[in-house]
Amino acid sequence: MTMTMRLDDRLLEFLRRPLMCIIAGVDQTGRPSAGRGVGFNVLEDRTTIDLIFSGWQWPRLVSDIRQTGRLAVTFVSPADYVSFQLKGRADLSETEVPNADHAARFITAATDELQRLGVAPHVIAPWLTAQGARLARLSIQEIYIQTPGPHAGMMTGAEVR
Amino acid sequence: MSLRLSDLSACFEGVIPSIIATASADGAPNISYLSHVVRVDGEHVALSNQFFAKTAANVRANPKVTLMLVDGLTGDQFLLDISFVRSIDAGPLFDRIAGQLAASSAQVGMSDVMRLRSADVFRVRGIEKVPSPVAATAPAPRRAPVDLPALADAIRAIGRQAEAGAIIDSLLCGVQQVLGYANALVLIHDSHRQSLITTGSIGYENSGLGSEIVSAGGMIGAAAASGQTIKVSDMSRVRRFGEAIGLEAGATENTTRTVVFPQLPMAMSQIAVPMVTRGVVAGVLFIESTERLAFSEEDAAALDILAGQAANALRASEGEAAAAETGHATATPEPAATETDIRIVCHRFDDSVFVDGVYIVKGVAGALLRLMIEWRLGEGRSEFTNREMRLAAGARMPEIKDNLETRLLLLRRRLDEKQAPIRVVRIGRGRVRLEAGGPLALTVRD
Repeated sequence: MTMTMRLDDRLLEFLRRPLMCIIAGVDQTGRPSAGRGVGFNVLEDRTTIDLIFSGWQWPRLVSDIRQTGRLAVTFVSPADYVSFQLKGRADLSETEVPNADHAARFITAATDELQRLGVAPHVIAPWLTAQGARLARLSIQEIYIQTPGPHAGMMTGAEVR
Repeated sequence: MSLRLSDLSACFEGVIPSIIATASADGAPNISYLSHVVRVDGEHVALSNQFFAKTAANVRANPKVTLMLVDGLTGDQFLLDISFVRSIDAGPLFDRIAGQLAASSAQVGMSDVMRLRSADVFRVRGIEKVPSPVAATAPAPRRAPVDLPALADAIRAIGRQAEAGAIIDSLLCGVQQVLGYANALVLIHDSHRQSLITTGSIGYENSGLGSEIVSAGGMIGAAAASGQTIKVSDMSRVRRFGEAIGLEAGATENTTRTVVFPQLPMAMSQIAVPMVTRGVVAGVLFIESTERLAFSEEDAAALDILAGQAANALRASEGEAAAAETGHATATPEPAATETDIRIVCHRFDDSVFVDGVYIVKGVAGALLRLMIEWRLGEGRSEFTNREMRLAAGARMPEIKDNLETRLLLLRRRLDEKQAPIRVVRIGRGRVRLEAGGPLALTVRD
């Protein structure tokens, strides 16, 4: 039986901050791919998270998720580099209307935060698009602290069931 | 590959974090930000990877890696297909990466936690540009290439100079004319005070001549200590290493005996280039700009060439000044006793010198001024040779054998800048004259 991890209150609180999101997949030959997420939604069971990314911008992510279903996503708070990585199995589906709202909110919050930190708007613009949006539903199996420092890479205290 | 690594130079500035995706032997992906990526040559990159043990383990188990780089000027993104070659923990490439990491860590305010233990070298197998949702309406801002004929002219101009002041002025002139940077400093290493002292300056409201940077402090100190060029490409997130802004320079000098370090308000990019001759760092060329990502790799290379030429010329100038010296110089009469005394106070503990209550200089330059004044008062002569100064002060300050000329230059410039009633004038190779507008009254305090 595959173990799943549940996002605890501390992680849910973290996920309410303005964040950047990066996603990795892997193909059947073991070659990884990378892309950016532009929105997410934690499902009620707290063990599943819907991730939104641009299939137009990151086509290899689409094909890799189809091929192997293995996925890693790291959320980082740009203001202080606090980061967490979630790993697990993912399935693809077309995005639905509520997720378009999630993407719009995510992009606005991230853009505002990066501008507040001094990054020019024209530099941010190429990174965050929901064009050809796709949704990957990730079943969370591992959670790691990813903040640079001595605790980087440690598994963190989410509940196991 | 259609895109080359050299096309991606603005991705290697450390302004926008890079991203690395790896996969374990059993196919589990992993993704994290990277503190720094360095272009090694046309086909290789090196990554500093201090903390992420999973990434390090993955690349050794499965060398296939995807790297995402971001152009700091345009925001354009690139995916690089790379494969692990080897790990390095010593040598010139490692030192270069460690130096760049030190600067980029300062950019993100993490210099305390970033310390490079090793770096991984990867071969680049392919580069693809990520589609951008932003229509390319106007050509992206690009930096002009370095004008090589102008650089050659500047190198020749420095080489023609024999005197320390002219060498430093030629260097600063070259920085301005070849690369167009208007705010620059030359700091000369002073091992006696464990510091770097501003000896040449262009473009600042206050010249800052005589201001000091602690040898171990900030990017200037780090460039001197490591012998590596260090740059910061986006100051918007960096705490300034300089002294407090807005100090009234002249008003505080007399009480603190410290010249305020010059500041360029709204500086966004800074670069510190060590001036190296025969493996020894003689000083640092420091330049700043209000533009983000002002200093390209080409600029850094051109500055390295200019700084090296100036360091060699300064070294030759010291040697020539020493060789040209001949015995004691002639005596000159003191000015008439009717003129107002010039009050000179010297402090032994830091070799600081005040003229009519105005702080002039401290350290080696201060000690040299006191020496000349004592000789003038004791022996009635005003012309002195480098050799006798070196003999007299060398026992206590042995490093002046290598940099007496630059110390005298600093002294001359500070006396000129403060419009002091005494001046030190260079009257030939290895010879100076102390000129005074009246009789000297010297007080030496502990």
